[in-house]
Amino acid sequence: MSAIDFSDPATIALLTDALTAAGVSGLEISRPGGQLRIVIETGNETRIDVTTTTQPASVVQPVVLKAPMAGHFCPGRSSRSAAADRLPRSVSAADILGFLRVGPILLPLCAGRAGILTKQLAEPDALVGFGDPLFEIEPQS
Amino acid sequence: MIATLNNHMPLREIVPAAQGRARVSSIGARSFLLEAPGEFDLAAQRRIWALSQTVRGWPDIAEIVPGMTNLLAIFTEAPEDPDTVVARLLEAWGNARSIDLAGKTIEVPVHYGGEHAVDLPALCDLARLSDREVVRIHHEATYRVFALGSAPGFGYLHGLDPRIYMPRKTVPSLKMAKGCVTIGGMQTGVAMLTGPNGWNSIGFAELQMFDPTSPMPAMMAPGDTVRFVPARIEL
Amino acid sequence: MIEIVETGPFNTVQDLGRPGYRDIGVSASGAMDPFAVRIGNILVGNEEGAAGIEVQTFPFSLRFDRRTVFAVTGADGDPILDALELLPWCAYTAEAGQVLQLKHPPTLARAYVCIGGGLDVPSVMGSRSTSLRGSFGGNAGRPLVKGDRIALGKSADIAPVPASGLAVIEPAVALRDVFPDLVDGTLPVRALPGGEHALFPDDGDAFWSQTWKISSRSDRTGYRLSGEPIKPTASIEMRSHGIVPGVIQVPPGGEPIVQMSDANTAGGYPKIAGVIECDLWRLGQARIGSRIRFVRSTHAEARAVEQAVARYVEDVRTTSEMVKRALRAMA
Repeated sequence: MSAIDFSDPATIALLTDALTAAGVSGLEISRPGGQLRIVIETGNETRIDVTTTTQPASVVQPVVLKAPMAGHFCPGRSSRSAAADRLPRSVSAADILGFLRVGPILLPLCAGRAGILTKQLAEPDALVGFGDPLFEIEPQS
Repeated sequence: MIATLNNHMPLREIVPAAQGRARVSSIGARSFLLEAPGEFDLAAQRRIWALSQTVRGWPDIAEIVPGMTNLLAIFTEAPEDPDTVVARLLEAWGNARSIDLAGKTIEVPVHYGGEHAVDLPALCDLARLSDREVVRIHHEATYRVFALGSAPGFGYLHGLDPRIYMPRKTVPSLKMAKGCVTIGGMQTGVAMLTGPNGWNSIGFAELQMFDPTSPMPAMMAPGDTVRFVPARIEL
Repeated sequence: MIEIVETGPFNTVQDLGRPGYRDIGVSASGAMDPFAVRIGNILVGNEEGAAGIEVQTFPFSLRFDRRTVFAVTGADGDPILDALELLPWCAYTAEAGQVLQLKHPPTLARAYVCIGGGLDVPSVMGSRSTSLRGSFGGNAGRPLVKGDRIALGKSADIAPVPASGLAVIEPAVALRDVFPDLVDGTLPVRALPGGEHALFPDDGDAFWSQTWKISSRSDRTGYRLSGEPIKPTASIEMRSHGIVPGVIQVPPGGEPIVQMSDANTAGGYPKIAGVIECDLWRLGQARIGSRIRFVRSTHAEARAVEQAVARYVEDVRTTSEMVKRALRAMA
């Protein structure tokens, strides 16, 4: 069963034919790698939706932490030193990953979720704008 | 507590800072101390009072603290050139004419002798006077408030009869009560805080002379006249 | 309302002090590190001079009885809100019931808890500072004890503190060009020669060249310094005169005393020097047992430092308001 690739057009065509022949109006298959939905509509074209997730479900989409306003990007927990922390590393939701510096003011950048900090997307001390990506975190439950 | 060491420090006399000419020195960058030349007397203090009135009105002054024939002027910011400030102060001193402050008269009822008069016997020995004589000399004199300082509301009183001058103790009393009537060198005063004190106690005054919640917290002001009135003599 | 949950001795309510009453014998008191109080108050949206808590003995903790904005400034080390480690020099919002704890700082002496709205203790002679010697001001004129409950003023802040906090580049870092760092663990403290400097031999060399240790007999009133005693060439006695924090007096024993925030208003010991006002906060953060060295300064240098401090404070004020407004607009 698991050997069948539901995203293969040949497989879908085969299933569609089989469903039509059987007089069944539709089919929905959900599997860890994605979802297949076939709706047979009499007199119209058959609708086929394939949704695929590229990874197994145990790994979810990375989250990008963005700049809440314009400022200079200062990675690192300490405002005293910009010593680069090693990547990737695991972080907890409350961890401060860095700061946005505006003049003498520092806006802490909080991870906001537990996970693996995989990427730093801006250079230290770079001037970033509102919404610019700063970090990438793979969330972990 | 460190404060106690300076407590009521003043009066073992006293080398005038400069003969003939006033002297100005700095404390930190914002404060300047002008010291009057000459004797420690009412004439010099009257000129300090006049100087105080002038300097108080300067726009760049944060606070002034008149002392014993001297004045500390605290400025709002550090001057670029301190010599200018020194010159201004010396000029103001040169122009300061003796004034007499129209002070009020304060009568302080005193319980002479008794449990608080711990240093009265030593003073009698030093002065070679009887306790009755010491008490009489103390309460018959009229005193002027030269300045306040050292403790909230504490007035340095000038006018003590030289027969009952008594140097500060080298080892202070550790816990002298607030209200003790004391002699320190050539001055007298009333202790405003309970604590270590190097002055010599000869009696006790109930009168409250400092109230931080009052619009005028200190009863005494420079220029006031003070009389000690014997409420009770317990010898 | 806040409630003191644990405290050591000598932690007090302080603001920027009670100047203006030295002429009636009242010490100015106020925070030993006024710089930290000013910046902390700006971060939480207060006037610079609002009253906070000076913590000089640890651990210290307090509970908030309602949602409250606060910042811990001054000392190094991370404050803890419930189990969460926070940043110093950063304003946060605590929820009702949360407990803020301060542990012993790694290197510095005094932490300041600044609270949105300030501590609403009665103002006595223009200040909410505690006068320990006069037993008035602050919280009933005495140090805080466990169980004390203190009302808070109404916060007038223009915009809320961001959820992740609002921090500042602390003065020692932002102004490192203005405030020289420790040299071999010794804090340089700038001072100007005082009225009796000329009485000390060799242009005061013994005073300026040696490293002094802050002795254990030091407190908010003054620091006694341990070292090789220094003696004037002539013994003189001074008439009692006004003094201010920073004055360095030499008592007969020869070990100098630096008067600090609770400085007496009058003194009579020879004054060898006076610390420039803008360096007093650094001395206020120097611990008992630590080492200091005096560096001869000038009025012009002191003025330049004052101006740098004023620029930084103004920058923190305007930028923090701008950042809060911008974040509110984008939220």
